[in-house]
Amino acid sequence: MSLERKDDYDHNAWLQEKDLSPVETTFLTALIWMDKRLRIVDYLEILESLYYRVNLQMPKSHTEQYNLDNKFWYWYPLYTLGLFSTLSYIVAAVSGALLGFYYSPATTGDPTTAYTQIEFIMTELQFGFFLRSLHRWSAQVMVAAVFLHMLRVYFTGSYKEPRELNWILGIILISLTMGFGYTGYLLPWDQLAFWAGQIGVEMALSVPLIGEWAAQLVFGGFTLSQATLQRMYILHVFLLPFIVTTLIAIHIGIVWVQGIAEPH
Amino acid sequence: MTDNNDNTTAETDGGTGIVAPDDETPTWSERKARKTGLSRLTYEYFERSRREDQDLRTESDYVERDVLGFPTWPHETVRNLSIASFFVGMIFFLSATLPPHIGPPANPSSTPAIILPDWYLYWSFGLLKLSPVNPELSILGGQKLMADRTYGVLANVVVVGFIAMVPFLNKGSARRPVEQPFWAAVGVGGVVFAFTISVLAVQNLVPMNIDLLFDLTFLLPIVAGIVTYAVLKTMREGYMYDLNRRYYRLRPPR
Repeated sequence: MSLERKDDYDHNAWLQEKDLSPVETTFLTALIWMDKRLRIVDYLEILESLYYRVNLQMPKSHTEQYNLDNKFWYWYPLYTLGLFSTLSYIVAAVSGALLGFYYSPATTGDPTTAYTQIEFIMTELQFGFFLRSLHRWSAQVMVAAVFLHMLRVYFTGSYKEPRELNWILGIILISLTMGFGYTGYLLPWDQLAFWAGQIGVEMALSVPLIGEWAAQLVFGGFTLSQATLQRMYILHVFLLPFIVTTLIAIHIGIVWVQGIAEPH
Repeated sequence: MTDNNDNTTAETDGGTGIVAPDDETPTWSERKARKTGLSRLTYEYFERSRREDQDLRTESDYVERDVLGFPTWPHETVRNLSIASFFVGMIFFLSATLPPHIGPPANPSSTPAIILPDWYLYWSFGLLKLSPVNPELSILGGQKLMADRTYGVLANVVVVGFIAMVPFLNKGSARRPVEQPFWAAVGVGGVVFAFTISVLAVQNLVPMNIDLLFDLTFLLPIVAGIVTYAVLKTMREGYMYDLNRRYYRLRPPR
């Protein structure tokens, strides 16, 4: 008996007898080397199902089945508005995270720190002007796409049974999207932002019974101050992102489970 | 080693409380088939609906064919990726060509002439300016029931609440606007109202008599709704004809 380790399955002899091309030899040698260390063979099943999933044939869609194809293609853009709003949400999230490196929600100083930081982003920072522009435009596009998405769903009757809950979830999402827009609108702390905030406080105060409590909770007081800006900031960059991302995931998940309501 | 077979309370599970299943241990299907109460009901319902689905599947004459559409890769994936990059490119193009403006810094002591939220909140802002239609109740001596601002906030709640109710008001299998002219008319009226109420919100920028603007805000949506209804009703004739043609070809009307 030698002390030299034996290859139990004699992979080398097997490789010899296969008469492989250099590419195949390299691939197989690398695969065996990796498999000895990482037990890839255990995960082969997953890889296999992935392979088949990637090579899936899409089933015949409703439009194909009912031969609506030639009439349907020009409606197609209306059916991709949901994707469009999700995409712009992602663009807004990325550009917003980058903006967050430079912005600070403080009303100290004259003009305020928040305002001067926006000025800094727009004038000094490399690509800062474009970054702010990108964030703002993706937000605008998201709101527009969400509105149009809602109209499409309305006019094609896609909210009907069994999709009522997703319709209501959509209404919650559109409201939160506008909340996103509103809180973001206040962050530069310029004249428009300040007075839009003023209107917000007045609206909150005029709600019967819970008005003062709501104003205190959302705006941090009955007049605009550091607390207001701070709260808008946290709503905009912490609270709303978590809630909205989760709800979007549920919204799309329900669409996945129930299937797309295609026109009849 | 001594064997303590007589000691029945000896711990054989290593103190974990986990014991191997014997004949008395319920199987998973027994556990699932709850015996009483709500869990029993839930179990029965799911079993029934599963059986129902299976029956439907057996009855169905739908044939699943093997190759009917495009493959996910590359066709669908490439199409989706190209649509996605086109959209993102559009956003980049917009933001490069039309960068935003920043106004003067906040100044609590000077109210600007024009106070506006972003465009998508104009409708909500417009609903705050409904004071002329806030009813004055004679029972309260011509007093308004609620402050104008409260009325505006309430209007927001009513609008959003109505939209949320739509699936519970409009039922049935009609999908296309031609199949449901009334609800399509409501929709068009709503869209037009969203526009007119937004214009009302920026009333001090519109070169028009305020009273006329206010009236148009409510009249235009109604007119648009009626026109839509009429048009769709007319279209419906031809549409139903197309739908029925096959039927009549089989059994011609007398």
